[in-house]
Formats: sequence, C-alpha cells, structure tokens
Amino acid sequence: MAVDMSPDPTGPARSAGAAAGAQVELTLSVADDLLALARLTVSAVASRAGFDVEEIEDLRLAVDELCLQVLQGRRSGRLVLAMAGGSGCIDVWCRYEGTEDARPDGPDDEADLSERILDALVDEHGLFEDDGRPGAHLTKRRALAGG
Amino acid sequence: MPPPDRTTIVDGPSFVEFATTRDPHLRDLLVEAHLGLAHQLARRFANRGETHEDLVQVASVALIHAVDRFDPDRGFEFSTFATRTILGELKRHFRDKGWAVRAPRRIQELYLELGAATDALAQELGHPPTVPELAARTGASEEAVLEAMEAGQAYRATSIDAPDRREGTIASRLGQIDAGYDGAEDHQVLVDALERLPEREQRILHLRYVDGLTQSQIAEQIGVSQMHVSRLLTASIARLRESFTES
Repeated sequence: MAVDMSPDPTGPARSAGAAAGAQVELTLSVADDLLALARLTVSAVASRAGFDVEEIEDLRLAVDELCLQVLQGRRSGRLVLAMAGGSGCIDVWCRYEGTEDARPDGPDDEADLSERILDALVDEHGLFEDDGRPGAHLTKRRALAGG
Repeated sequence: MPPPDRTTIVDGPSFVEFATTRDPHLRDLLVEAHLGLAHQLARRFANRGETHEDLVQVASVALIHAVDRFDPDRGFEFSTFATRTILGELKRHFRDKGWAVRAPRRIQELYLELGAATDALAQELGHPPTVPELAARTGASEEAVLEAMEAGQAYRATSIDAPDRREGTIASRLGQIDAGYDGAEDHQVLVDALERLPEREQRILHLRYVDGLTQSQIAEQIGVSQMHVSRLLTASIARLRESFTES
C-alpha cells in the first residue's frame, strides 16, 4: 500500500485541524543520529498548534518511540518525518528509507513497551508500509480541544 | 493494533475489588504484578547520571500512586494509566533533580528558570503553560525555550541510544546530569523515609523493588514466612506513604 506522507491536507488519514496548520517535512540520516532535531521540530510544530509544555513533553517521548518502531534496529539509511499541526492537533508520520533489513535486537517486550507508551501519550498511532518501506504515524490532540 | 495487555488478568476483578476494599495486601499484589512496567520505563531514562536503582524507586513509588488512584470504572487499561503516571513522575524527577546537560550557559540558566516558571504559571493559570507563555514570563524567545526543553530531555528510547552501537549518542553529546545536584524533594523525602525504616524492612524493600525478588524468595532469604514478608512490605509502604503525606 502506498501511503502519502506529505503533509498534504488532501491526503488520507489527515486530521482536519492539523492539516490546516503548519506543515513540515524532515529527512534525517539514521547514521548521524539526529533524533534530537526530530524532537525539536515536533516541539515547534506542536507549540504553534497551541499545545502546552506538558503535552509537548509527551509528544517528544512519543516521537522517540515512533522512530524506534520504524527503525527496528536499522543503523543506516534515512528517516523521513512529516508533521502537520494546527487547531490543537498534530499528526506525525515517520518512514524509513534505506536498504537495511530490520534487526530487532531487543527483547520482545520492548516492542510491547513502545506500544504501551504510545497508547499512554497520544490519541492514535499505528504502523504502515509504504511501498515496502516501514512507517508509523501518530496523532495527538489537545485535551481542551475536545479530542 | 496494540498488543494484548498482559495486565488484563489483574485489570479486571482485582482492581475492581481493590477499589471497593482498599485491602493493603491486594494493593501489594497489584503493585507487584506491575513492577516490570516500572523497571522498563525507568530504563527509558537510563544513562543520564541517575542510577537505575534510583530511577526504579521513583517509578515504583509512582506505580503505587497509580494503583491507589486507578479507577477501573473509567474504561482505561491500568497499564496505560500507570504508564502515564510513571512517565510523568520520572520526567518530574529529572526536571526537579536539576540540570547537568552540557549546553551553553544561557541554555542551562534558562532551563532552570523554565522549571520554576512552569510551576508558577501552572498555579496561576490552572493549567500547564504554553511555550509562548513561558517565553513571555522568562523574557526568552520561543525558540530558546524549545531549545532548552530539548537540551533537558532525559528520555531516550534505549534501542536507538545504545552506546555500544556507534561512536557517541545524542545522550552523550548532550551530556550528563550532575550527580551532585540534589534538588528532588520527593526523592529526598523517600530517601529520608527509607532510612528511618528498620534495617530489615529496608532490606526487604530493596530485595522486592530493586532486586525484583518475589515475596516467597525474600521469605526464604531472611528466614520468615511469605505472609510475614507481605505484612512487613505493607507496613513499610504505609510508612513511606505517611512520610509523603506529612511532607
């Protein structure tokens, strides 16, 4: 299945509020270990969307977990993150681009833990495959935004 | 699709029963059943200058609070509720514990200022502040606030951050929390309360919540019955809780 990760308001699985706001796409080298940039970027998008600092903290942890889910032990290639945030809602998609096979090297319960952490921190999350490339997405809404 | 929740067995009848009876023995069983979650979440904050034992203590106390506060009628899984509670407490622990990230001095100072401003604004506003509100309060730019928040990040998904996989990690680049910076009020209350416990009870708590032994294993080690261990644990935790209440 092909998944449109571009922060395009006409694409599938977009939150209406998020799609109407700030849209950012970020490509990171896995080898360069630039996850801090992903967290910083999602924090900025979330701030513009009206999230408070506690919610932003949650999002930063969630983005770590999202990337972990996508990487599954890969150490090369690129991570492409797309974010759309507005009106108290943010969507984040993360996709792996590279040739390395997954090499999950942690215990099975690490994957379960990622799921549990995302369950606790965001409103929606899930895995997808985009032309054979693994990806994951999350949606978080502000508690006061009625979501 | 999230995996099946292995806590379902105790999410149902046990929590419902505990909500009605508040039976301390049942509470011990519920805490015990979820200690693995506390350990796992504590590991997400590893390699930031705190010992694993300290982090597990913080997570375990948060787990006890989660067991006490969980309302099974609200339709949440306990593990989801507990994860939120434990993560929140671990984040607060690092925020209160202070600062040791090797970052420019202005960011260090701003990070400290943000902690105080966040608490003050939360009190004044009745909700956690936004980044623009924090920026206005501290006189910093929103970008600087975001930068300081990132520099203070203690959480890492461990598989990404494993130090033996590559030369240097984000955590190592951002530095370490200064072990000598001691500002965690809750942590200090816990440490003080633990020190006031009789030596045997301290040992039992350590065996149970740090070493992860079962009550039966502890009973075997110290030569008493499992029921006696259970009673001692219940009494010890009650004393710790009293210390928190008094503080």
